[in-house]
Amino acid sequence: MNANTPAPIPTVEGGHQGAMFTLPQAKDGCVSRLVTIFGSLAPSREKRVHYVFDVGAERYREMMFPVEGSVRSIALKVPAASWYERELHDQYGVEISGHPDLRPLVFHGNWPDGLSPMVDAVEGVPWSNREYRFLEVQGEGIAEVAVGPVHAGIIEPGHFRFSVVGDTVLHLELRHFYTHKGTEKLFEGSIVNAGTMIAESVSGDNCFAHAVAFCHAVENACRADLPPRASAIRLIGLEFERLVCHVSDVGGLCTDVGFSVGAASATRIKESLLQASSKCCGTRYWRGIAVPGGLRFDLDSKKVTELGHVVAGTAREFSDLAHMILGTPSIQNRFETAGILPRDAAGDLAIVGLVARASGIDLDVRRDHPYGHYDRVQFEVPVTHYGDVMARARIRIQEAAISARLILETANALPVGSVLLPLEPPGEFQGSAAVESPRGELYYWLEGRDGRLTRCHIKSPSFQNWPAMPVAVADNIIADFPLINKSFNLSYSGCDR
Amino acid sequence: MILGVIERSLRQPNRVIPVEALLGNCDGSRMPEVIATRLTPAIAQRLVEVCPTAAFRIEQHDKRPRLSLSYGECIGCGRCFEPSEGAVVAAKSFYWCGHAKDRLVRVWALDSRTELVPLPPEPRVGRGQIHSLLGRALNIRQLDAGSCNGCEAEISALTNPYYDLERFGIHFVASPKHADMLLVTGPVTRNMADAVKTTYEAVPSPKLVVAVGACGCSGGIFAGSHAVVGAVDAIIPVDAYIPGCPPTPAMLVTGILQVLRYRTTK
Repeated sequence: MNANTPAPIPTVEGGHQGAMFTLPQAKDGCVSRLVTIFGSLAPSREKRVHYVFDVGAERYREMMFPVEGSVRSIALKVPAASWYERELHDQYGVEISGHPDLRPLVFHGNWPDGLSPMVDAVEGVPWSNREYRFLEVQGEGIAEVAVGPVHAGIIEPGHFRFSVVGDTVLHLELRHFYTHKGTEKLFEGSIVNAGTMIAESVSGDNCFAHAVAFCHAVENACRADLPPRASAIRLIGLEFERLVCHVSDVGGLCTDVGFSVGAASATRIKESLLQASSKCCGTRYWRGIAVPGGLRFDLDSKKVTELGHVVAGTAREFSDLAHMILGTPSIQNRFETAGILPRDAAGDLAIVGLVARASGIDLDVRRDHPYGHYDRVQFEVPVTHYGDVMARARIRIQEAAISARLILETANALPVGSVLLPLEPPGEFQGSAAVESPRGELYYWLEGRDGRLTRCHIKSPSFQNWPAMPVAVADNIIADFPLINKSFNLSYSGCDR
Repeated sequence: MILGVIERSLRQPNRVIPVEALLGNCDGSRMPEVIATRLTPAIAQRLVEVCPTAAFRIEQHDKRPRLSLSYGECIGCGRCFEPSEGAVVAAKSFYWCGHAKDRLVRVWALDSRTELVPLPPEPRVGRGQIHSLLGRALNIRQLDAGSCNGCEAEISALTNPYYDLERFGIHFVASPKHADMLLVTGPVTRNMADAVKTTYEAVPSPKLVVAVGACGCSGGIFAGSHAVVGAVDAIIPVDAYIPGCPPTPAMLVTGILQVLRYRTTK
């Protein structure tokens, strides 16, 4: 949570067998923001639970406890912990005591009860048929609307269960993890460098942020410094990805309110960016470029400059387009006051990224925990407090302009030198890193020995932010749901992993 | 206000990429092309070692070594370029889109340095021919069986003003009940297996199923995961495959038109 938010410091009973730990607090007495909770196995195969907090946007603090018996839930005091604890329960079979809702999260009815893939053998897992109970809203005139997992359009799968009165949504229950691919398990035993490819396949449209976060975690584990040229090019890639995402999402918002001119223009701008990227580095989405220690190959400075020119041109076009979109009365009518995520709820759920910044929470990993080239550039972090679709659209538009400027500045002053410093991971290594992906804070934690990974945990911003969707949707009409959903634009695959 | 919006759209030039420039185009996909004359057994061995998804394999046939490359498994990572001493390069054009699975595999004899399986014909679809192929419009329903959303991003690009799939009479529809073709992306996850079967059953016959992307074709990097059932054809019958990770919009256009050509001339 940001430095301007004084909040009481709760003492939380967590850890094993009710061992007490106090939430880490910053110098000014602010409470810390939960980053992630995950499990791991010690070399002795003893279960461990890790808590990571962002202490007053100053430093990340990691706490690790061996699991003996059950782990006391902190979800009632830190609601953001709820999904993490359910995931820990599913993946590691860790008993969580005092959790208000321990229904399976990651696994559906087809997965046998009590089988924990991160601990048990998972060959030839039988198919079972367990029932899942949705929360039932009772009362006169309440209807349930079930949507998904297969949606009408080119969208990822997920299930939404609305309880409505007339058009108004009383409650939305999410049921996700349809695209759960056991990604964290795939890292186990993987050669360190090959892990980059798995990271790139966590969320396709944010693949470069995932790759860079993974690489940073390895580099931190090896205590290695990056060649300046590599970190500058990584910054260009990260900001490029953010620019593409924001352009695409503003276009998506136009699609969802039937404003075709805006939608078509945004897809055109996005495509011209992707084609420029393909010319610059041979790939449209910056796949296969980052590798622990730097980049797999150098980019031609002239081509990077050309990419900068295209970015500058499209940024002008996009700002023009954004001006038109935001000035259109029918758009204002749909965007304003739709899907408000109040600041309190955003804080309770430890929401990250632009969704948090649109609800008045000032946080950005690039500024708070600079990595790579970010301590060498100046940029502002737009924040607004309205928390509605319009606020999120405005933040996207402002951030797109900032990203374009950062790309240009960096491309014009690209350091020279090599782009790869071959890494030699120590016999046993452990590292973590955070990156501000287009959707928000992305946190990788990994451990390994003898050049291979034994564990890699991915805290994805989508996993963190999905629980805010039901809060934002409540009290809106169901027809506004696609618009509100688009304004968050969370990744299903990034959440489900 | 509205006049400004109209003026704005009228000012835009036509950006549609002509179909001739799309067919076989694979810029930005990093699909590999093998230069057979430069192959040696040692290089072939290195390709096998370096490939993360085992797309390259060496097989013995009558005691003669052969190198095979299965495009369905290739994720276009380009890791085979460096150690190949020029025997593997990024393809300039790529026509292995929209074919049956066995046609995605290329084989070279390592002793004679020649390719053994004939190349698939280039889809020389002219403008006139497209009309005869698509006299009746084609409705596509996209189905995500568990993908990372990379393929979705490229499939959505097909409707932008550069690729404009609608010009061929091809539409994306919201319901499988309105579809002629199911375009399936991603490895089929355990959690999506039932939904994939139900969606397939909801498409009226005759229907075409096209598996898209390395994951859809072979499971890609997720093959063998405990949470994944496998490639699309592990769950439903598949007519054709479009490789790539993700396939570029041009490869998707090539593949979709190839499927139609094959289907209407068979």
